[in-house]
Amino acid sequence: MENVSQFVEAAEMTLIAEDNPLLLFPVRHHSPVCSYQLIRTMELYRPDIVLIEGPSDACGLIPVLTHEETRLPVAIYYFYKDRKKLVNEDGEDYKCYYPFLYSSPEYNALAEAKKLGIKAMFIDLPYSEIMINTAEQSGLRRSDRQNYADDTRLTQGEMYRALCDKTSVRSFDEFWEKYFEIGGLTLTPEEFLRQMHTYCCLTRENSDPAGSETDGTLIRERFMASRIIEEMKTNKRVLVVTGGFHSSGLLKLIRNGNAAPPKLHSIPADLRGAYPAAYSYESADALHGYASGMEHPYFYDSVFRRIIAHGSPEGAYDEVTLDFLMQTARECADKDLPAAMPDVTAALSLMKGLAALRGVRECGMYELSDGITSTFIKGEKTVSSSMPLDILSRIAVGNKIGHIGDKSHVPPLIADFEKQCAAFRLKTDNTFAQTVECGLFTSARGLALSRFLHRCRYLGTGFCHVIRGAALRENRDRSRVREEWSYQRRPSVDAVLTDHTADGYTIEEACLTVVRRTLDNEKYCSRAAQTAVDCFVMGIGIDNEQQIMSDIIAADGDLFSVGDGMRFFEMLYRLCEVYGYEGRSAGTLIELCFSKLISSLPLMAGLPSDRADACIRIMKHMLELTDTLLRERAGELESALRLIISAPQKQPAVYGAAIGLLCSFDSSMRITAEQVLRGFLCGSPEVMKQGAEYLKGLFSAARDIMFGDNDFLRMTDELITGMGYDDFIEVLPQLRLAFGYFTPQETAGTAKAVAKLHSAEPAEIRYGSAVDERLYAFGNRLDSEIMSQIAER
Amino acid sequence: MDNFIKPPVEVRYADELAALAASDKGRRPENWKLSPRAVRTFILGGKVDTPSGKAEISKKFYGNDSLVERAIITLAGSRGLMLVGEPGTAKTMLSELLSAACCGVSTNTVQGTAGTTEDMIKYSWNYALLLSKGPCREALVPSPLLIGMEQGIFARFEEITRTPAEIQDSLISVMSDQILNIPELGDDGLVLARQGFNIIGTANTRDKGVNEMSGALKRRFNFETVEPVRDVKQEKEIIIREAEDMAKAGHIDMPVDTDVAELLAVTYHELREGRTADGTVVERPSAIMSTAEAVSVYFQALSHAWYYDDSRFDLGILTEILVGAVCKENREDLAKLRAYFRTASKDKTKEGGLWKTYLSSSKLLK
Repeated sequence: MENVSQFVEAAEMTLIAEDNPLLLFPVRHHSPVCSYQLIRTMELYRPDIVLIEGPSDACGLIPVLTHEETRLPVAIYYFYKDRKKLVNEDGEDYKCYYPFLYSSPEYNALAEAKKLGIKAMFIDLPYSEIMINTAEQSGLRRSDRQNYADDTRLTQGEMYRALCDKTSVRSFDEFWEKYFEIGGLTLTPEEFLRQMHTYCCLTRENSDPAGSETDGTLIRERFMASRIIEEMKTNKRVLVVTGGFHSSGLLKLIRNGNAAPPKLHSIPADLRGAYPAAYSYESADALHGYASGMEHPYFYDSVFRRIIAHGSPEGAYDEVTLDFLMQTARECADKDLPAAMPDVTAALSLMKGLAALRGVRECGMYELSDGITSTFIKGEKTVSSSMPLDILSRIAVGNKIGHIGDKSHVPPLIADFEKQCAAFRLKTDNTFAQTVECGLFTSARGLALSRFLHRCRYLGTGFCHVIRGAALRENRDRSRVREEWSYQRRPSVDAVLTDHTADGYTIEEACLTVVRRTLDNEKYCSRAAQTAVDCFVMGIGIDNEQQIMSDIIAADGDLFSVGDGMRFFEMLYRLCEVYGYEGRSAGTLIELCFSKLISSLPLMAGLPSDRADACIRIMKHMLELTDTLLRERAGELESALRLIISAPQKQPAVYGAAIGLLCSFDSSMRITAEQVLRGFLCGSPEVMKQGAEYLKGLFSAARDIMFGDNDFLRMTDELITGMGYDDFIEVLPQLRLAFGYFTPQETAGTAKAVAKLHSAEPAEIRYGSAVDERLYAFGNRLDSEIMSQIAER
Repeated sequence: MDNFIKPPVEVRYADELAALAASDKGRRPENWKLSPRAVRTFILGGKVDTPSGKAEISKKFYGNDSLVERAIITLAGSRGLMLVGEPGTAKTMLSELLSAACCGVSTNTVQGTAGTTEDMIKYSWNYALLLSKGPCREALVPSPLLIGMEQGIFARFEEITRTPAEIQDSLISVMSDQILNIPELGDDGLVLARQGFNIIGTANTRDKGVNEMSGALKRRFNFETVEPVRDVKQEKEIIIREAEDMAKAGHIDMPVDTDVAELLAVTYHELREGRTADGTVVERPSAIMSTAEAVSVYFQALSHAWYYDDSRFDLGILTEILVGAVCKENREDLAKLRAYFRTASKDKTKEGGLWKTYLSSSKLLK
């Protein structure tokens, strides 16, 4: 405690005087009171330079942030590609945001510096160095951290718990709002600085020093201190704005003069960098998972803007809470929730009463939330009845998204994305999910919009997804002529687009580059064909597509992959004309796949049972093609199928399917089909069981064989009735599948014929007879009696 | 006070209320005995200055402090306070504490039942006097509501949703206009509510749908949902404090075993949450697993030890009483309790000691 008081009394900490060469201003990110007091401090102190905590590789972006056309929230997006494996052996990519809201002290420091005509700069280690000097799962390398502006260490630990207990508040955020945000507005800048430093120094005193080492705090402070010392040599008054946790650490280093900067690594420019990006209030919310600062950022932003607009903090919280209360009531009314004017009055009276009881000068977010809890929720507070609170929370978090005014630093891909969104009139100025419909054939705009959205999806931006429409990648719903899309602009969209910056200047170019890269590494025909489908829906043509695909088909040793690929190519062939797609290589690629399959088909005769269905599907598809696109190759298919049936080892289902398919070339194969079935009938019980599988294959390709005359039906009947009960139960699934190929009318016809064989009624065969209710009850009793006697024994 | 099973709050905590009143310098609503801040301290605990130094005010309500603050401010306004929640979550206790602290009286109560009539809510007559003297004030039997209006104190309405909806609705005119008309008394029959009058209702969420409150009546109340205590440590403290008080009232001179209290608090907490501390999922019994039930189970086991076992606490007896408390309505609850003992608590036996003995008594779960 003595240490703390010594530090807080240090001139560097609190003395706002002309002859004080250094003033350390601690902040909490996005805090209106810190911003308000910082502006006042800058007016009083008149620094020559403002040094701000922030990775120094983004100093060039400061004019973009303070540009008159920039609308907050925006963020600096940092990335580092660890190709040199300086972080660890995994060589991963790293990225993070540094968000700025109107209430952010760092933003206000930059804006005020611009107003005063003084220099402002970021003084932290470059982002790549922070990552290199941070231990795994610590600091910015924690998997849940994507935000540079992190207050976690200021808001956690034993001290804050003790404070909450002592002051009877529910959480650190309530404590902070009561004592700093609202209480701090009426203090002088010196008093505020003293209080902030006291809290921050106490937090630092009570923190684990080992944690500061592993999360990179100490090395960052060394770097920052070296920069401060450097600037103090040439400036008379230096103002340093950092997260409160660093203040005492920086002061110690500056006083001791032992702030030797760490040696920086040489990292190529294309592996690291920073871009300005539009950000959203939603992402800036502390509860959103990024631990970025305070909860309810739009609420606090509104408070800050009200303070600036009126030039005084007096009544700011009361006005803004009333405004948010009215907004909540209006939205509740729109949703038919009971929130009438008397409820609003009661809520306001409760809020004021609570503020008085708690000793808060004006109503804050917690009083507002309590007022709504008591007066708007009628009945038990449950998930469904808490909707007024959800509405308040949504309003207080905010849904707006920022805008970068100076586009010169915006990655070209984001600029193209925004240009196209504007051209297609897609709403991207808020974070609400929107929907849009594209008529693929009604107008050129519809198809162009569909292609743009497919491109965004292909790049993995998370900007949009199809709600309804053709699913060509899954080969489903091909006949749909409209698409319905849902889209939502989020900061992550910009992040992904920034990651693709090296892939091209436009979305189309980036997609083309990714497609090329994908195909270069592709070994399987099926996946390459899916990429071709992606290109088709994106309206992107690839140079040498035919050659690239031919090479992949030729190299692919997996026949099932070639079979699947052939199906996709056929789909593309049929859809090309309808969609006005220029690629004309699909027909050739089908032929290539067909040729590859023909030569390998005989090898499929002895496949394991679990691949039989896939094999039969390919064989049937090949037969379909010889009926349509590849008539001249029917003979080749017939020869290949004959090779299958003459193979020594045959999987029964594949065997059956091959015979069934051959029936369409040669009707005499029907006799062969009967003979083969007879062979299964005459075999051992094991062989007989294989007959069911044979039937499954046969019926999948030629179920009409059952309806020629009664011979086949009789044999099938023999097969089934000749089995013992246990064997029948064993093959029942196969038989069910075999008869699953029949239409309901065919099943009825078969039942009729079987009934005739057994001199019974068809309905009796199909449905069986109803069991008498009393007989069923008797059976049940008998069963339980037997079971109990068995149990007794 | 020693001869009463449960003295009213204002009697039980008379010293604390007197100390708070003596040191209370805060603003207080008309007719309130204490300022809202002092009421808060009375319920949530703290220290007050007395001529003999700082006096400790005990914490009486555990859980959500901000709920208590909202309740106090609601009562200082024009709306009634409705406390809703699962049985055994101390709704009644909170309403008694609020009444005692604000008005000095916690016994001005209507108990809602299926048989509650409008007479019980408004007024009825002493028929002998009515016949002999006709309708006059003397013959009038005022209800707690009428007493509250005339004296400017709170009227408590317990289990309001057990009362038929049309009877509940008789509160609407009183709460809207703060007037009760007794037509039989003619011009003298208009009773205007004095400053300080308000209504505290309680409703059990298990009774939801029995007699749903009308929208009109709901609008006249601010609702507060009292949740079960979610913190095992707090639940243990409540069990210890309440069991000590009950033991003292019952002249049972036996210390409360804090380890057993913790064991019971853990059992109730885990069964209520459907999850153990180590993350094992357990089936929740349909019975009410409230802290009040846990206190009752502990006190019964304590009484058994005092009267039958020479003050030796038997965990087997505790288990047997637990069965009686959990398996009231549904036989399946017994299976759930057995499953809890068999699987979920297995890891706890590694700790040995009390848990091992406790879990070995599972054979008594039948």
